[in-house]
Amino acid sequence: MSHHKVISLAEAVRRHTWDGMQYASGAALPVGSDAIVFGRELLRQGRRDLHAIFHCNTQQLNLLAAAGAVSRAECGFSGLEGFGFAKGLGRAVQSGAVALEDYSNLAMPLRLLGGALNWPFVPATVNVGTDLEFRSAFDPEHSPNRDKIRTVTDPFSGRTIGAFSTLQPDLAAIHVTLADPEGNAIMLGTEWSRFELSRAAKRVILIADAIVETDCMRQFPNLVRIPGLLVEAVVYWPFAAWPQASPGMYDGDEAHMKAMNDALGSEAGTAAYLADYVDGIDGVDDYLDRIGRERIAALSRGPTSFLLDPYRRWILPHADALALSREGAAA
Amino acid sequence: MTQPYTRQEMMAIATGREIRDGELAIFGVGLSMLAGFFAQAHHAPRVRAMTEGGVYGATPVGGLPWGIECNRLSANAVSFTNAIDALGCLVASGRCDVGIIGAAQVDRFGNVNTTGIWGGDIGPVYRPPKTRLTGAGGANDIATGCKRFLIMVSHESKRFVERLDYLTSPGYLDGGDARERLGLVGGGPSAIITTLGILRPDPVTREFVLDACFPFSSVEEIRAQTAWELKISPNVQIVPEPTADELEALRRVDETGMLRR
Repeated sequence: MSHHKVISLAEAVRRHTWDGMQYASGAALPVGSDAIVFGRELLRQGRRDLHAIFHCNTQQLNLLAAAGAVSRAECGFSGLEGFGFAKGLGRAVQSGAVALEDYSNLAMPLRLLGGALNWPFVPATVNVGTDLEFRSAFDPEHSPNRDKIRTVTDPFSGRTIGAFSTLQPDLAAIHVTLADPEGNAIMLGTEWSRFELSRAAKRVILIADAIVETDCMRQFPNLVRIPGLLVEAVVYWPFAAWPQASPGMYDGDEAHMKAMNDALGSEAGTAAYLADYVDGIDGVDDYLDRIGRERIAALSRGPTSFLLDPYRRWILPHADALALSREGAAA
Repeated sequence: MTQPYTRQEMMAIATGREIRDGELAIFGVGLSMLAGFFAQAHHAPRVRAMTEGGVYGATPVGGLPWGIECNRLSANAVSFTNAIDALGCLVASGRCDVGIIGAAQVDRFGNVNTTGIWGGDIGPVYRPPKTRLTGAGGANDIATGCKRFLIMVSHESKRFVERLDYLTSPGYLDGGDARERLGLVGGGPSAIITTLGILRPDPVTREFVLDACFPFSSVEEIRAQTAWELKISPNVQIVPEPTADELEALRRVDETGMLRR
């Protein structure tokens, strides 16, 4: 395994992020998969002025916005589904601290697909005729806006249709269930837009709940939707999407989902949250201790646990995966 | 309330009655899923239900899912794909028969706002809302592409507005044939089902008209809770009360009692 790509979370953020960058996270689902722990590390390293590209808001974007690290965001959805409005993001948008450019949940992956294929634009079959077309937070002076979604003539029918701009984010941090040390990845549950995102972004870092031997990928190559040749680095981090869910691995932490969102609703609450779940955390084991070992055991016994069964025999023991991270960071 | 069911339950059952067996249907989180899975549990066992995550063939376990990607749905899916597949190949393409969406504000043409509350007209320069809501999500895509869609919304005058602060998801836009002129694939909203009754669009003007009251509501109450001058159908019906079977099926789906609070 001399060419493995596993590095520590801190090292990944140090090497591959900078202030003002276009930062995308995957899957960017509001209660499911997201590279949430990557956002915690962005804050620990003081990254600012991020242009966040999130298919949907997540607790990560909610946190980054509440903490003042984001100045621009593009999303298809800005809430937390059953957990209500995103109080941190909402506060930042209402104060004007974050300019939130609205699209829909189909528009965002279409724009990523366009970026992945290096197309000049994507036909806009949705969003047209609404304020998603006519209002732009990035260009507020021009209302109705004619630049966010432009028009183009369909060369076949002669009809005038809408055109979306495409996305090629500087970096995508993509949460996956399983990655091997070379960066081949299997995602359990909906992919959402991780396939397109992994091809659209200029760099890809995987955040994996577990590291598996490459033999696992050779057994299920049809399921490896992100091959290692696209991937810059792999970070091993169990419960990387917590308090959100990772199918096969763990359920969402309902109590923490609510408490976190409530905390992010105020500046004081955000400061307290950062002290408890961002600033103070020292590595994987300390993070798992903060979640609580009993809670981890309970969340791991969910109704989707059986989804992981075919892969369990290839999962590297925790200590071995951590050793790879240390070795990679030193290289 | 004297009847043995809540207004929210009546709304969910009335919405579910609009779903027909065998249809390809897309449900969102919350009320939409409750109504949709009620229909599946009661009279539409072969409804082809999906969510925008591309989670196919799943029925919720352990309570109402927290999201379209919740493990409560992922626990018994037969296929996991992705957003472009569900919202694009199956919805924006025009294939999906019916969708259900919610609304913070709705206007007389069934246009929906779920983006924010500005307290009136935004004005010539876009500015931050007083209250930021959840944005479009998949609702814009469902409203644009589904053959028909249903709007579920609590009937309050602050929601049934003369003019939306922001148009997130298209109903009939300015009315008439505005959707067709713009080339939107789907047919538009077929009903607005509220906590007080059912509104349906006039076939020509596409303006929503009060079609039916619930057993516990009245035309006067519905008018008072609608901020535009609501037109009333000449033969307003009274929606039949939920049957014992319907209530039993709904409460099996709504096992956490979200609709009974």
